Amino acid sequence: MFEIAISIVSGALICGGLVFFLGAAVGLVRFPDFYTRMHSAGKGDTLSTIMILLGIALYQFHDLVEEVHSLQEFLEVFKIELLVAIKVAAISAFIMLTSPTSTHALMEAGYDDGVEPFTRGDDGANDMAAEEQVQKQVQKQKQVQVQEPEGK
Amino acid sequence: MIPIFDIILLVFLVVTALIALRVRDLLAASMVFGIYSFLICLLWAQMTAVDVAFTEAAVGAGVSTVIMVATVYQTARRSKD
Amino acid sequence: MKGLALFAVVLTGALLLYATGDFPAWGSVHSPANGGELSSHYIENVRTETKVPNIVTAVLADYRSYDTMFETVVVFVAGIAIIALLRDFGNGSRGYPPALANNLPEEPDLIITQTCNLVIPVLQIFALYVLAHGHYSPGGGFQGGVMLGASYILIALANGVEVAMKAMSERKIMLLAATGILIYSGTGLICLLLGENFLDYHVLSRILPTDPIMARSHAILIVETGVAVTVAAIMFSIYANLATRGTLKGGL
Repeated sequence: MFEIAISIVSGALICGGLVFFLGAAVGLVRFPDFYTRMHSAGKGDTLSTIMILLGIALYQFHDLVEEVHSLQEFLEVFKIELLVAIKVAAISAFIMLTSPTSTHALMEAGYDDGVEPFTRGDDGANDMAAEEQVQKQVQKQKQVQVQEPEGK
Repeated sequence: MIPIFDIILLVFLVVTALIALRVRDLLAASMVFGIYSFLICLLWAQMTAVDVAFTEAAVGAGVSTVIMVATVYQTARRSKD
Repeated sequence: MKGLALFAVVLTGALLLYATGDFPAWGSVHSPANGGELSSHYIENVRTETKVPNIVTAVLADYRSYDTMFETVVVFVAGIAIIALLRDFGNGSRGYPPALANNLPEEPDLIITQTCNLVIPVLQIFALYVLAHGHYSPGGGFQGGVMLGASYILIALANGVEVAMKAMSERKIMLLAATGILIYSGTGLICLLLGENFLDYHVLSRILPTDPIMARSHAILIVETGVAVTVAAIMFSIYANLATRGTLKGGL
């Protein structure tokens, strides 16, 4: 019973993490410009990695009740599994700190480099410019796709 | 042990090696080389050679990628050939 | 010419693929690598001879310590070569153009520096843990040293090389790099002076308060510390010289 409950919870966490990973990947491909792409990659990656790691950390305790017979043995097994779970949780804390920071660093580098954000303003002129930019980007992507077999 | 996992890793290894050779943008090439190092690290971990995998993760994927990016920054980003 | 190259590559590849058929199965007991007298000696006797649970560490730093010593020397020589090729003292002695303009903003970014301040102490403690725990788990001098060097590289990436240079000046780099080699070869020399072979650690029990078997275990830690010190200093030195074209000013 205990094992099934742990398996369900950790499996749900891992599957949820995979869903967010899929979202991040789709966003990385589909979003129009550098900033929105980084936005999707940063948020989706961080959350999904943390969820998967927490699911793995929880799964360490799945055989806690099965194998144990005395309290002594229970504490022994619990200590070992807790140690592994704490290590995995420490990794997820590390990712929670560093992954958004690296996204921020990339964003700032892009901003300093003068990467234009994707805009669609209210007045017609801006709109036209944005449309043109999209068209140019699409053309560029097509060119890149054509050139891909030979490298950039 | 897990043949399908091995095959996926090896295919990705060959693909990243080819990309790292063919890409003209040297910054992208050094990034792809970092991915190649991570894949090799996974392969070694899968062969239970954890010491070697650890070294590869620390040296190949971590420090040498940083050093290569620093070198690309101070020289030319486009390869001539 | 290209066709010839392709032919050579395809031929060599075909020969190599053909030769893989003769390989023993992965992890086979009968493969030459596992069947020899030497490797079975390592596998059977490491526990009793050195009391080190991790066989890899024992082989690396005890049985094959001569090998590891010169690996460390190779890292040291690589660092010296990078300095000799790149170091620019600003007197125009170098023929190449000066470093690219330093486009770091005056004030380093707050979020990045704060995160680095949080992460770097943990990273350094983990590096020391990897170094000291190499007897029991994967790790050891080389990995710990690389992580220690990477922590200084992280300071340099976030704040510029000059800030990292305050913690690890060029004088200190050279001193530490040479000290690591000195620790390693000095351990071997002490063994020689005590009347045994070079790097034959068990004789150290005469000056360490332990028995000969534990002396080998402790000497592995001493030697790995030497490796870590050299590798950490040289890794940071290589990065600092490459990222600034030898001027050691500014940064990426």
